[in-house]
Amino acid sequence: MRLLDRQVRLLDYLTSSDAIFGDEEDAAPDSALKGMDPRLLRLEARFSYEKRMEKIIAVFPKTCRLLGAERAAMVRAFVKAYPPTDITRIKNARQFYDFLRSWWQRQPPDLPYLEDVAACELAIARAHVSFEAPHDKPLNGTEPPRDGIRRHPDVVLLRCAYNIRPVVEGDDVEDIAVTKRDTPLAIAIPPAEQHPKVFELSPPVFDVLAALDDWTNRSELGATSEVDEFISELAQYGLIEARG
Amino acid sequence: MNAPMVGSGLCSAVGIGYRAVLAAWTRANLDRFDVLEITVDHCIGGSKSTHSAIFDLVGTVPLLAHGIGLSIGTDIPLDLAYLDKVAAVVERLQAPAYSEHLAFTKVPGRDLANLLPVPKTEAVAEQIIAKVRTVQARIPVPFLLENITYLFEWPDSDMSDAEFINLICRETGAGLLLDVENLYLNSRNHGFDPRAFLDALPADLVQEIHVAGGVTVRENFLERPFFADTHSHPVPDGALDLLDHVLERHRPATIVLERDDRLDAVDEILDDVARIRARIAARHCESANRYASVGSTG
Repeated sequence: MRLLDRQVRLLDYLTSSDAIFGDEEDAAPDSALKGMDPRLLRLEARFSYEKRMEKIIAVFPKTCRLLGAERAAMVRAFVKAYPPTDITRIKNARQFYDFLRSWWQRQPPDLPYLEDVAACELAIARAHVSFEAPHDKPLNGTEPPRDGIRRHPDVVLLRCAYNIRPVVEGDDVEDIAVTKRDTPLAIAIPPAEQHPKVFELSPPVFDVLAALDDWTNRSELGATSEVDEFISELAQYGLIEARG
Repeated sequence: MNAPMVGSGLCSAVGIGYRAVLAAWTRANLDRFDVLEITVDHCIGGSKSTHSAIFDLVGTVPLLAHGIGLSIGTDIPLDLAYLDKVAAVVERLQAPAYSEHLAFTKVPGRDLANLLPVPKTEAVAEQIIAKVRTVQARIPVPFLLENITYLFEWPDSDMSDAEFINLICRETGAGLLLDVENLYLNSRNHGFDPRAFLDALPADLVQEIHVAGGVTVRENFLERPFFADTHSHPVPDGALDLLDHVLERHRPATIVLERDDRLDAVDEILDDVARIRARIAARHCESANRYASVGSTG
């Protein structure tokens, strides 16, 4: 057998729930791994798994705290469904979020607002990664026109069914009463700041920002002093870019 | 490229692995370090603020280039685009050498993000020799391979650690970044004499050194405790004793302390740096006394 095939089989095993959780303790690993100490392979698998989960929990601290009694079963199912394909925190977090969504489609969470909490935590991570990306990232390739405005490329928009801001921003998340109401959010990093903030928007402002994918002449929003003030305020929060 | 000379005298330069979360602390304590080791992957895929913090250090302190993303042991051709990015980073850092692990971390479609051993056979050594030559052709500074810590062995390995490393380094002219902690842990986990490993290396093969501190792992499925290279605790005295033995035979340009966990315990980092310097100083006192007594008998 080629070395690559053996390496593939080894990584398959080391990322399996059998190896990580010892699900089938007496089962021998893949025959391609014959001669390797299965206990040491399990230890290796456990180390790698713990490092991966640290990355995921760093992105979803509140979601993971609120998963409750289901968490252990969910993590096992996640390991089976989504083996690690990338070293980065954001890609592992994305995998975990995709898993949560598919899990919750079959079995809604005990806390009905948990899907919004997870979406918001991922949005915060995405906004931060976008802000920290080393290169300019136009929403599309067009040059900014004079008097152009657009949604800031680092902004992530999110429409929640629950007002989950107190959970995302608070500490004692288990004790917070969450109300059900349409909650349009924008996650942005204001100028001169380094970390994302969660802004609640009115529905019309959310819709305007959602429409501003591309550079647009500000006169299309109207030519009044109120519009100028509105644009200025959005720019101040890092929600739009404006060319004067 | 005009790379600064690091540790070119009798004394090894001592420093730490640069970590973004300690950026401000590192800058404030720069006078305590002769050198900082930069993870090149953090300059390739890292964040804007990490990039600017690292590149702002160029010219203020000598920087070393260390990689974690090459996976030279994966049985597929090297990622040349990645190597070209490494070359650009190495040049920008003005690093005197580039080091990577003698290991594999990934296969197409799956990335364990953990260093794994390769079978220690002549056939695998030949594959790696060819890849080292590719690295050397693309990156115009000396290339160093680092020994890793490993938990398991491939059953078809028929060479010792030292034989495997020596073969690759002899055929390619690559140097060794000796991770003393990895050697220390491997010798305890697998029951071999680390001094025999060191004695089997040609003199002056070791060009850079890593030291770190790990933890003891106890699991109910293991027959005995295992020692893990977590970069989380002070360097054990046993590893520093091994460092003494290394310094008897090799003159590494740099000794870098690696720390990746419990980073708030910065006093431990400074204390470890002082303990390393004390070992170097003691070694030089010993050498000076030896030369003095040779002189007095002459």
